[in-house]
Amino acid sequence: MRSKPGQTAVWQARLIMLVMINIAQLWILAATVDAALARHYSVLLPLVIASGVCFAITLSIIKWWRPTSRRKTSTGYIRDSR
Amino acid sequence: MTKNLSDESDVRAATAPFQAEFPYERDEEAQVTRREFCNFLGLTSAALFVGAAGFVGKAALDARESVSLAAAPIEGAEALGPNSSLNFSYPTERDSAILIRTADGAYHAYGQKCTHLSCPVYYSRAEQRLECPCHEGTFDAATGAVLYGPPPRALDVIEVEVRDGQMWATGRRS
Repeated sequence: MRSKPGQTAVWQARLIMLVMINIAQLWILAATVDAALARHYSVLLPLVIASGVCFAITLSIIKWWRPTSRRKTSTGYIRDSR
Repeated sequence: MTKNLSDESDVRAATAPFQAEFPYERDEEAQVTRREFCNFLGLTSAALFVGAAGFVGKAALDARESVSLAAAPIEGAEALGPNSSLNFSYPTERDSAILIRTADGAYHAYGQKCTHLSCPVYYSRAEQRLECPCHEGTFDAATGAVLYGPPPRALDVIEVEVRDGQMWATGRRS
């Protein structure tokens, strides 16, 4: 089965965004380790909150982002027959 | 169909005799769907978040630790010659530390963990300073301050004093 061009674009956009968020989280983790070892405690909380926000965005992308051609029903997402 | 592996062009179709005992399907292994990859990225994101939260939790615990520490004798310190060092543990057995007697005869003690990534520092007799072998951070032997390299702060200082001819560690500050 061949997917529609728009659908492929959405999947690729999701993947690219997820990879970018993962890279940002890696950077945040490195900064957190550095700050913890340097005992710069004031920046630790913002860093972990930023990592949490990244994780929340990741979850939202995986769980809720769907191509607009899919309609949400009580049993899940279905593709409109257009 | 049995086909021996001969070259790259037919690697996917190869089923050498040994593969019968290991039913390993190259096609299945190579196939990772976008959905699986997305889920993998989600798991990675969760792991990175948990890692960052873990470091923050540990830092919060470290910050809460009491600063009043019991004094402890440093065994063998009295035999330490000028321009040499001695390893000991303070305040617990897991906290390695280093006592230095500089060329002018003064004693200084520091936590042995480099403040960059916790590698153990050592005393360089030739350079008369503390050096970290991992990323070449160096510290002043008399103050513990960073001379150069990646460490972001000075070494933890261990306060020492002589009581009845015996060297004692009496406190630790960062």
